[in-house]
Amino acid sequence: MQKIFITGMGAISSIGSTVDEHLNALRSGKCGIQKARFFQSRYAENLVFGEVPFSDDQLKEINNITRQKEFTRTTVLALNAFKEAIHQAGISAELLKSDRTAFISSSTVGGMCYTDELYSDANLKAVPSNYVRSYEGSDHTLRITKMFEIGGIIDTINTACSSSANAIYLGARLIQTGRADRVIVGGADSIAKYTVNGFNSLMILSDEACKPFDENRSGLSLGEGAAYLVLESEDSAYDKTKIAELTGFGNSNDAFHPSTTSDTAIGPILSMELALKIAEIKPDLIDYINAHGTGTENNDITETYALNTVFTKVPPYNSTKSYTGHTLAAAGSLEAVFSLLSLKHNELYPSLRCENPIQEHNSKPISHFCKKELKHVMSNSFGFGGNCTSLIFSKCI
Amino acid sequence: MYIKDLSSISPQITFTDEFLNGDFKIHTNTFYSAIEPSYSETIPSSLLRRMGKAVRMGIGAAMPLIERNEKLDGIVIGTANGGLENCINFLNQIIDYDEGMLTPTHFVQSTPNALAGQIALMSKNTGYNVTHVNGALAFENALLDAMMFLELNERNSSLIIGAVEEISNYNYNIDQLANRYKEECVSNDKLIETKTNGSVCGEGSTMFVVTNDSNNALAKIVDLKQINFPTKSELEIKLNQFFIDNELTLENIDLLVLGNNGDIQFDFLYDDVKSFFPADTEYVYYKNFVGDYRTSSAFALFLTTHLLNGQLLNHAGIEGNLTKIPKTILIYNQFEGIQHSLILVKSVEE
Repeated sequence: MQKIFITGMGAISSIGSTVDEHLNALRSGKCGIQKARFFQSRYAENLVFGEVPFSDDQLKEINNITRQKEFTRTTVLALNAFKEAIHQAGISAELLKSDRTAFISSSTVGGMCYTDELYSDANLKAVPSNYVRSYEGSDHTLRITKMFEIGGIIDTINTACSSSANAIYLGARLIQTGRADRVIVGGADSIAKYTVNGFNSLMILSDEACKPFDENRSGLSLGEGAAYLVLESEDSAYDKTKIAELTGFGNSNDAFHPSTTSDTAIGPILSMELALKIAEIKPDLIDYINAHGTGTENNDITETYALNTVFTKVPPYNSTKSYTGHTLAAAGSLEAVFSLLSLKHNELYPSLRCENPIQEHNSKPISHFCKKELKHVMSNSFGFGGNCTSLIFSKCI
Repeated sequence: MYIKDLSSISPQITFTDEFLNGDFKIHTNTFYSAIEPSYSETIPSSLLRRMGKAVRMGIGAAMPLIERNEKLDGIVIGTANGGLENCINFLNQIIDYDEGMLTPTHFVQSTPNALAGQIALMSKNTGYNVTHVNGALAFENALLDAMMFLELNERNSSLIIGAVEEISNYNYNIDQLANRYKEECVSNDKLIETKTNGSVCGEGSTMFVVTNDSNNALAKIVDLKQINFPTKSELEIKLNQFFIDNELTLENIDLLVLGNNGDIQFDFLYDDVKSFFPADTEYVYYKNFVGDYRTSSAFALFLTTHLLNGQLLNHAGIEGNLTKIPKTILIYNQFEGIQHSLILVKSVEE
């Protein structure tokens, strides 16, 4: 079977606009969840968010696209991370145009991040807004495809909070089945009234910064961002610095409830077991897990149960959503970047604000920064609709 | 990859054999609504009440397949927009109630992956589960995903794959503002020849059981290709490459299934592609049955599968040039010249 190497990463979130800035934030325990500066909503007053600390206009200026009026915040965040990832992997403009270069992205809110404009356009309240052709989930993907004239297979996935983990999984199989030599994979989402009100209606938003795996956790904090990886085949990556190898992936459905995970965590358990099977490694070889860890009552207890079922001795784990908030479709790829940073630097970053770890199952997340030799790391992403995906990254040997 | 079973809810009566037996529904509205079954036998009424139209049609198309086919290894869905009606209903509540306390039903139902999740839930299927939302290639991406899944899994693996799109006032309004729909009413039997701006909105859900085993198969999906933002010459080059990759020549195609939608701005692209083939290559259209929507190519594959099995040859709705049962069919569809797709399908006889 074709090996799949990671040769580039790009990320933007509330804790940084480059991968290096994220590394510094993780090392120093810097949390990006706070009062929103740009997001306009009545909830901006009483909730906290992992907001990217730039306005839409600033983001467009940074990316030299001030004239593209129809570009949404989601698209610009995606563009920012996409450019960093291809730059690190050394994918030239010419190579992007090759039909052997694919681009698999994902988003949940997509172009609907401008809730008020969408309201106006959908209800014919006024003249068409700038975004009338920008609302579809695939909008950011197509705009980036057009901008860079990407020549290969293009796709956009939406499996809710596991979207970009599935983008990574799909990209890997494009290489495995010989349909692409290199694939840019990931996802993007921006904070929107739509998702804030949606999660609020489910009563799973925390008033304060989320406390994943804490006994007294009170819900999730929403964040925003984008992250992309460059996956390459062995031939395509032969002369490059390889960050790691993607060795395992598993996808399963919990088949229990539209918005909660089952007590028996069937989906999470299956996705982790499948990933281990594909990677052909035993559970005790996993050195670190980047958990889904949203900070909701339901996720953290069922994920803890799943970890204790799959692993005899649960490896060190954290929730980096305690730094960035839940970035929805971007979470899978953003947390893949964090897992890869841990793997590359042999470092474990603490899960923030877990003061009283969940008592049941007798396991607790990483509490302080430490150095540890790592070989295999796992990243979990579970979403609404029962969509569960686990990925395993391994050091190149 | 082989098609083993199929099911459709569309603006034609496709959930029974009426359509296959020759019935042709004429729609004269500014959009062509799906003709839905009662669902009473497939969906419990308590669930049905909460379902938006997209989820309802998708479940309605998927459940008969789940009942007829044992051991499905997963669910792969393509939908550009999912349950948009619920989505904008929720959005309207956000604005109208100034972000007051809202009920979550619309929100949970509005996510595009709600259908794949609901099918999994109703059939207790914990297998592979993905939803593709890549605009007018969402269904083609679902096909590609399924093809890779089956290539990498053991023989006798099977998946349920399909597509759904619903008409809502809202997506109709948005696409109308984007000049995608005709201002005048055009009946579906006249749609292809209208030659005015825009098309007419349709909807529906088509589902397939696909396997990597040719036993009892109805058709073989040989290959597919997507082409994004091409120039005319690139379109021709990539189409030719597709034929070389599949060791076929243009003469091997018995029938073209074309996505013409009566939009004068883009229908010339179908003429361009048709012109690459020998002049006597037979062709049929499909949007005269169901109108235009982002994942209508799933209905094209439904039509194609039946044509390969000798059905629909003399159907009253067939438009084009069709005189004999085809063995090799190429489906070509495009959206506003941006996203193009080729799906190569063969009959299963050898």
